[in-house]
This record gives sequence, C-alpha cells and structure tokens, in this order.
Amino acid sequence: MSQSILDLCRSGVRAALRFGATDAEVYGQSAETTSATIEKHDLLMAKTQQETAFGIRAFVGSRLGFASTNDVADLERACREAVVLAQASPADPGNVLPNTQTIAPVDGLYDPAVEQYTTDRVVEKAIEMLRIAESVDRRVVLGDAEFASKRSERAVANTRALAASERTTLFLYSALATAKDGDRVSNMDYQFGATRSVGEIDVEPIVRRASQNALDSLGAEPCGSSFRGPIVLSPQAVEALLVGLILYQVNARNAVRRQSRWGDALGRKVAAPSLTLVDDGRRAGGVAASAFDREGTPHAPVTILERGVVVSLLHNAYSAAALSQPNTAHAVGSAQTVPAIGPTNLAILPGSASKDDLIAEIRQGLLVTRFSGNVDPVSGDFSGVAKGAQLIADGRLERPVSGTLIAGNVFECLETLSGVSQEEETIVSLTLPYVRVEGISVTAA
Amino acid sequence: MQQLLERIAAEAEDWTELRFQARQTRTLTVRNGLLESSTSVRLKGVGARVLALGVFGFASTTDLTERGIRAAVAAARSAARTSAAAKRDRVDRLANASLARGVFPVDTRDPLDAHPLEEKLALALETEAHVRAASAKIVSAAATYDEIQDEKILVTSDGASAHIFDSKPSFRVLAVARDSGDQSLGYDTVGVTGGWSDLFAARTTDELVDHAVRLAVDPLSAPQPEGGTVPVVLDPELVGLLCHEAIGHTVEADIVLGGAVTADKIGQRVASELVTMCDSGLSPYDLHAVGTLPVDDEGVVTGRTVLIERGVLRSYLHNRETAAHYGVAPTGNARAFVYSDNPIIRMRNTYIEPGEQEVGALFAGIRRGYYLKGFAMSGQADSNAEFMFGVREARRIVDGHVGQLVRGATISGNAFRVLESVDAVGNDFAWEKGAGACGKGQAAKVDSGGPHIRCTLTIGGRQE
Repeated sequence: MSQSILDLCRSGVRAALRFGATDAEVYGQSAETTSATIEKHDLLMAKTQQETAFGIRAFVGSRLGFASTNDVADLERACREAVVLAQASPADPGNVLPNTQTIAPVDGLYDPAVEQYTTDRVVEKAIEMLRIAESVDRRVVLGDAEFASKRSERAVANTRALAASERTTLFLYSALATAKDGDRVSNMDYQFGATRSVGEIDVEPIVRRASQNALDSLGAEPCGSSFRGPIVLSPQAVEALLVGLILYQVNARNAVRRQSRWGDALGRKVAAPSLTLVDDGRRAGGVAASAFDREGTPHAPVTILERGVVVSLLHNAYSAAALSQPNTAHAVGSAQTVPAIGPTNLAILPGSASKDDLIAEIRQGLLVTRFSGNVDPVSGDFSGVAKGAQLIADGRLERPVSGTLIAGNVFECLETLSGVSQEEETIVSLTLPYVRVEGISVTAA
Repeated sequence: MQQLLERIAAEAEDWTELRFQARQTRTLTVRNGLLESSTSVRLKGVGARVLALGVFGFASTTDLTERGIRAAVAAARSAARTSAAAKRDRVDRLANASLARGVFPVDTRDPLDAHPLEEKLALALETEAHVRAASAKIVSAAATYDEIQDEKILVTSDGASAHIFDSKPSFRVLAVARDSGDQSLGYDTVGVTGGWSDLFAARTTDELVDHAVRLAVDPLSAPQPEGGTVPVVLDPELVGLLCHEAIGHTVEADIVLGGAVTADKIGQRVASELVTMCDSGLSPYDLHAVGTLPVDDEGVVTGRTVLIERGVLRSYLHNRETAAHYGVAPTGNARAFVYSDNPIIRMRNTYIEPGEQEVGALFAGIRRGYYLKGFAMSGQADSNAEFMFGVREARRIVDGHVGQLVRGATISGNAFRVLESVDAVGNDFAWEKGAGACGKGQAAKVDSGGPHIRCTLTIGGRQE
C-alpha cells in the first residue's frame, strides 16, 4: 500500500465532506495474522490472513450513516454511500464526534520481534502446546488449540482535527482439552492466554490448566441431592456468570436504551462492599491496552464499582452526550462496525481470603470451574450447568460432580456476595479472583 | 475473475481451491424511536487452500490482482509445506464427489435490491413504534433489519467451477418490559434464504411484535420453575436446537475424529425408533430455510443426509477429507463464512422428520410437566452430547392441560438419552427461520426444525 492507513483515513474524511457530510470520521485498520491450529491432537493447518478495512461515519447535521469497505480502491464510493445513508436517516441529537484531546502514546504495544516471527515459529508453538498436554497425562486429548501471531495498524481521523494511529502486536493462544479414560470422557475445559511481546509468550500455564481441569472432572458422578447454598466460582465462572451482566448494566448505551437497571444508579450501592471493579485501557502489559479508543478518545483508568457502589458507567461519545456524563473512552469495535461500548483491561480487585478459606467455611456447597448457562441481563435470572464442578462438604472438596444445574439471580448474588479471593487469574484482558456467592439453587440431575 | 481463478488453479502444482467472495451486508436498527444505526459493509477477497505433502495450508488476500492471488496461493502452499514435518496423520487423498459447475442463482422472485433503503427503514421505524404502543409496561423497544448478499466463485484444480449467489435477510424485534422494578426481555426473529417477500411469508412483522411483547410482559409476574427431571413437550424450535446443537455437532466428522460420543456408533441404536433426523442443503417441507445452499465451499453439490434413521445412527457429516478417511461420499457440509475463513464441516438445515401423532395428543399423556418453546439466546453442548439451553417460554402442563407461565427455565441433559426418551412425535413441521448464526470458530447461517415431540429431560430451577 503506497499511502499510510492514516493518510487514507484523512483522504476519506475529505471525500465525505465533498459528498455533503457536515462532519465525518474514518477509522482504518490493517492486519497480518499467522496462525497454526491443533485439532484432534494433531496439527491441522497453518494459515495466513492479510486484511485492510475502513469504516466511515458521515454526519449530516445530526443524521448519521455508516459504510465500510475492505478495498482501498472502493474508499471514495464507501464515503459517498455513508453520506447517502445519513441523508436518508432521521436525526438524533446524540450523533456527535468526541472532543479531540491530546493522545499520549502507550509503551510496549508493538514488539518489532514480530517481524521475524515466521510461519514455522508459529507452527513450532502449536506443536509445543501438544507436547505439554501429552506431558501432563496420556489421557489428555488436545481437541482444539491455536497459536496466532498478529501485527496490526489502526488509525482514525475526523473533521475535529483528530489524526491518530498506532501499531500493535498480539500473540494469542487457546487450548481446549478433554480427558479420556476407557469409556469415560471428561467435560471439555478451555483456557486462553495472550501477550503483546514475543519474550512473554508462555503457552504452558494455559495448556496445563486446561489439561488438569479436564482430568479433575473425569469420573464425575451426579451430585446426589438438590439443595440451596453457597457456591465458589472460579475466575472463568465469574466471567460467565457475573461479569457479563455487570458490563451490560454499566454500558451507558444500555442506560440510554432504558435497558440497564443501573442507568441512574451513580453513587448507589448495588453489590457487597468486597466488590471493586476497575478498567484501565493504558495498563502496562494489559493485552487490551492502547492509547485511544475506537473514536480516538485517549484511554484513562476508570473505577466502575468501588466497594459495591456504582462510581462510573462506561461511555463513548454518543452515550456521554446523551446522558451528559464524561466520556470514559470506551468506544470499541472494528472498521466494519459503528462504535459500540466495551471494557479494555477489566479487573475485579482481589480480596483478603484465600480460595481455600472461601471453601473452608462451607458446610454444603459447590466449586464451579465453568458455567455453561443462560444469564438474562435484564431480569438477572440465571440457570445453567456447573461444569467441572466439585462438591464441597464440611469445608473440603469432596468429589467431582456432573450434570448439576445451578440457578438464581445475579443481582441478588452481587448483594449477598460473601467472599473474594486473594488469588486471581488473567483471562486475556480480564483479571479475576475466585468469588463466593450465597443462596444458589443446586439441582442434581 | 472466474477465468483467472481457473487458470491459476489449472497451473497449480498441488491440489488447489480458490474462492472469491464479494459480500454486501446492510443493517438498520431502530430503537426507542431513533435510528440507532444504518450501516453498509462490503467485503471482497480471495481465500486460497492448498493440499501439499498431505497437509492443508490456507491464505487469504484482499489484493484481487493476478499477482495478489498468486501470492496468496504461494503463501498457502508454503504454510502447508512448513507444517508437513509436524503433521502426524496426513491427508492421503480427497474423496471424489459430484463437483459443481455452472451458475447457481438465488431462488426468489423478489430480490432484496428491488426494495429501496427507504422502504426497509420505514418498516423498521413502523415496527418499533408498534412495540412501544403495544403495552404501557414496555420501557424499551427495537427493530433491526439485516441482509447478507453474497457472490462467490469457487474453483478447484480437480474440476469445480461454480458461480454462486446467496441472499439471507432477517428481521428482529425486541421489547423490554418493567413493572414495580422488575424487568423482563422479550424478542422474536425471522430469517430466510431468499428475497424480501420470502422473509415476511414466514412471519409477519405484526406477529413478531405480538410475540416479543407477550414474552416481555407476561413473565413479569411469573414464578421460576421447580428444578427436576420431568416429561415435557418441545416445540419445533427447541427440537431443532436439540438436533443442531446437541446432536448435530457430535456427528460432524471432524468432531467425531476428535473423540465425540458418536465415534464407532454407526449402525447402532442411539435414539427412540420414532426419531429420524437429517441434515440437508435443501429446504424440505417449507421453502427458504436459512441454511439452504446448493453447493458447499469445496464445490460439492449438496443434498439430504440421513443421520439417524428410525433411531439408528446412519451417517456423519463430511467434507472431502473426512469422507475419504471413512470411505464414504462427501455430504456437502464444508462451509466457510467469509473468504478469509477456511472451509470446515458445518451443518445446513438440520431437523427431525414429522411423525404421526396429532400435536394435541402429545400433551394428553402428561400429568405434571412442561411445554417448552423457543431458545433463550444462550446454550452450549459438549462433544459428549451433554447440553444446556435457556428456554424462551415455558408453561406448566397439569393433567394434560397447558397452563401457568414460568420464567428463566433452563433444560439440560444428554441429548441422546433425551432422544431415547422420545415417546411421541407430532405430525406437524416448522423451521425455526431465525436470525442467528452457529459459531465454530467462524459463523454459519443455519436452520433447524422439526415437529413437536414428547420426551423427558431435566429443568433447572429454584430449590427452597
């Protein structure tokens, strides 16, 4: 490509103005990805992808249209189409560009060593994952695993004098393991890891954890009796059961849509004091770290819940304007989507008890490694299967259990949450502890 | 483009597959009286797959010049050769198949492009307004129109050369109701393979609105179900979901080879003899099912595959690689969502064939149980056929009569044990024709359906 992505974004902005836009934003991205996939405990294939895409938001007054193309030669046409879509749309006063601010770069986003990270090195890493799984136990089957190396550039320009770009690298790895012992097949367990730096690539912890969790669930038997009581959630189960609903409530777009219960809850207690939730788009080493969001607003740390009290919602320019609150720079999305709202490096801060302490205080309960179920983000009702679960009896893990259903309400769980562990795990861009919640219905199959 | 791809494939040293795709996606979302988004996304590119030294390599590019496409072929070939030393189980050959040649147009008399943007926007605005007007308890409403139109040219070095067109519109309605601090979400969707009038032949927007509003408002005062294992009647949507999610994935041959519970079970009884289950690239019983496709992404002409015949497992779903491994014919299930995805084994339209019982008779035999309808957005199934699905609408059955609504029901169990427990199959049939997609590392538009069935499964609920 003879022109830089940022230059093309700038020329797209000029084109949109020529076609009749009163304001415009062009977001561009290009990426080269090399990946190797393991399937059925064997190398499946190596793959390379090269992609470039542009997303144009054209404003005609407060009317908005969006068009996207992955063809540089098609950029002008896409700009014209965005303007045509805007002209055909009803007006919405929330359709605004963000205020342009000075963007300080974030260190460590791009590792030049990626340029020597060839396909054969990617294949080697995938094979290493296979060898690690075999070294854990011969009963482990790595059903699905992937190692990917990605280098990207993204840029955004708009009619408010914004022109920003940055390069990033990302190494992503995932492992899905099951264990087979004769006719017995375990539940699957999957784990993810990621880093921006070649020197920090470490596939071993995720492969070992997936393999061990699969082995631990071998021989699981039904729970026996149904009861109502406490459960301890692993970090992965915390993500599935609690984090999704919390993010739905603090997404300011859902507040604008009148779909969030916490839309007017700033300063109000919604969870137990042991729960503090923070997000930091500039956190050193965080794989979601970057200097600016999808709209070009510079990232900054945000406390979302502090000791159970709502401190801030997550905003992009639209929701900040609509609710007259500060823009927290949480516009997310690609060049093929209009900016939405989402977290960056999100963390529940650790507590003072150990994971074993959380278990030791339980007479009858359950440790849930993975939750496979349905959480209604509006009512908060949840119901699903406790995967990789262990029965807790008199303060100890007694045995693995299968086919056990758990049900309750997440809003109630947050209020009655009775413990947060010191131990925490990083799941790509999330850092989460173990959490104990009370009064959960546990149904034996 | 087709001639260029044919020339490059013909000159390739190794087996080579080239897939050009141009995709146009349009989305209109209206929420609470405002147009939330009006978007148009165009994608164009070529995916190249090469089989060299018994290993596949894949590369994709947006550079559509001859040089760019040749570079992608070279990258795919290099990826295959780099992997060869590490590959344990090499691909000896690909199964022979009836490879497609010619043009495959969209089966519709009413193409989407014949309807202007203004008409689509007006329908979304009007429908969303109807949701808000339907009940004083509605606090948020949305209507989304979405269309995907594809043009593909698929060429393989062993003879496929197909020019394929596809059109998949969908429409979604969402309602959020609130009463005394309690909130509830209701929604309904419709999606087809076809044109504009085909979309609304399946369900009108008024029907979508009525259903979504009812699902949002009615549960506000409903209790949760009691957990336990009980007799139930499943509607066609949940039957389809069970077929697709809990059974269908376990008969995808790549999953079978990975150790699924169906391995070595061909010819064995796996379900009640009342159950015959199929997967088809066609749309039997009712036209325009979402997963309809004439040719798969390896160039294989599709048809109907009987998976379970009167309770006996008869076939897996294959691509050309797994068909060669098992010594059977490919079933036309290799699919790729966009040009940058390599084809993998996916379902199309998956269903249980209708039986002989009147639907009303299915309820008569149940003293205490549930009538379960529709899928509530999240669910999961393992390769051992254990599943969990949220249910959109669950009602108690007492002494054969359908009664009180319960909220937040979830069903779980082992899908084959559930199919073994089937003791009655209705004589009706419906496709889900929904707006969603199946995920398996990449998306695929699929459909599923069947008749009403009666069986036994576990419902998650409150324990006191």
